[in-house]
Amino acid sequence: MTDALAIETSDLRKHYGSTEAVRGLNLQVPAGSIFGFLGRSGAGKTTTIKLLLGMARPTSGRVHVLGLPADAPEPSVEIRRRTAFVSEDKDLYDSMTVAEMIRFTAAFFPRWRRDLEERYLGTFELPPDGRVKALSRGTRTKLLLLLALCRGAELLILDEPTSGLDPAMTEEVLQAIVGHVASEALTVFFSSHQIAEVDQIADRIAIIDRGRLVVSGGLEDLRENYRRIQFVFADDAPEPAFRAPGVVRVRRERRVLTVLSSAGAEQIVGEARALNPVSVDVVPVTLKEIFLETVAAEN
Amino acid sequence: MLWYKAWLDTRWRFLVCMGLLLISALGVVFTYPQVAKVMTVEPSVDTSREIGRRIKEGIELSRTYRGYVWSQWFRQNLPQIWTIVAVLAGSGSVLAQGMRGGALFTLSMPASRTRLLGVRAAAGLGELFVLAVVPPLVLPLASPAVGASYAVADALVHSACLFAAGTVWFSVAFLLSTSFDDLWRPLLITLAAAMVLAVCEQVFRISRYSVFTVMTGEVYFRTGQPPWLGLLASFAASAAMLYVATINMARRDF
Repeated sequence: MTDALAIETSDLRKHYGSTEAVRGLNLQVPAGSIFGFLGRSGAGKTTTIKLLLGMARPTSGRVHVLGLPADAPEPSVEIRRRTAFVSEDKDLYDSMTVAEMIRFTAAFFPRWRRDLEERYLGTFELPPDGRVKALSRGTRTKLLLLLALCRGAELLILDEPTSGLDPAMTEEVLQAIVGHVASEALTVFFSSHQIAEVDQIADRIAIIDRGRLVVSGGLEDLRENYRRIQFVFADDAPEPAFRAPGVVRVRRERRVLTVLSSAGAEQIVGEARALNPVSVDVVPVTLKEIFLETVAAEN
Repeated sequence: MLWYKAWLDTRWRFLVCMGLLLISALGVVFTYPQVAKVMTVEPSVDTSREIGRRIKEGIELSRTYRGYVWSQWFRQNLPQIWTIVAVLAGSGSVLAQGMRGGALFTLSMPASRTRLLGVRAAAGLGELFVLAVVPPLVLPLASPAVGASYAVADALVHSACLFAAGTVWFSVAFLLSTSFDDLWRPLLITLAAAMVLAVCEQVFRISRYSVFTVMTGEVYFRTGQPPWLGLLASFAASAAMLYVATINMARRDF
């Protein structure tokens, strides 16, 4: 574990009975990054977050957050003292008012930011005397965000922060997160299955599928390295066995052979030229394509 | 603030239970004049059977105000109500918040599970204590209104008995609440267990060792001595179950 990592997991596994929710996850989240944790519904994102926050115990493997073991009770409390969390279900205490929720949460965090509390109460137009049970899902999300952002936390963990929100509200929430990160030094780890929002705010990503990490890295690096290479042949495309590293997926459709590569596109093109294609086309791919192709390749 | 939250979570249960117990206590006091009138008549009861003996004993006990209060309230009406009250107080913990939301939010706070559970248990036991003390204290306060008197000491000893026996049912419900994530299963299972015990008490004649005997304060009523062994056993059983609840909670995944 290095100081530069906010989150580090090593061969992390979590079983619920015979179901493997997390399967040997190796994750490294650098401090100061905005880390998008992508995956389909049920891929293991929420389970991973629960393991990070000590809400669930790993079956095996290591999990360190802010340099502390998350599976030990006392360090886990310290992790939660230095971490803010917004859950996917957006549930709070229905019997409390907005002001009571703020007072309740602030009591646990010695570094609570009154200045930010006042700012976000205004920005999010939250009614201090409004009962939580009467708030819309969007307003609840804003309240949860206020409760998370004012803690003076070093790590912000968001589980599907925009789920169930309309596009305008989604944009407002994302802008609030980006604005906060711009002014405060903290790491953001957020899970989502919305590729567009990850693309919008993340600088690093990991894609998880069926509890296993399938892609991880800086978003710019991924965009730079991932390529779709399309070969067109005079007759039906051959079935090549590429020796080059970085081949993620190969697809044959009659005369067309399509290769998705995560690195070494030139080497793949060089190998394929021996098969005499009539044309070769190398194009960059979007995050959405990377996601869809890697998840499809896994399945 | 955890205390405040525990109070918010349980306040309506507490207030409704307090209302019911107060009505029950006042009802016993204010029906005494009518019972006293009936007591002048010598009833003919067949005492060859258990039920007859019980009725006869109830009539005999009701010839004194202290006996009437014990027989009608502490022995007859209160055990059922009090068991329900104790089970209600013990049902629903951090897990049960899942129903109404907020369980994950609570678990994301920098507080250990032991502390979360400890505050919830202490708040519940505190409410149970108030519920055990206040309604019996209404007896010495309201009795002069019907021309009778009831000793404060008697009320307090019965409060202690109610509280001790109540903690047993409280702890059973509390322990089950760390295993089930809804309010109803712990409540219904504990009430079912109480009913089974009550039936076994009658069938196997184990009432002397039963939690219900501690609850009614029968030993104190008949001998003037608090049931120390029963009180201690009740507290010990409750402490053991609360300890197991803590272990269970620490092991749980959410």
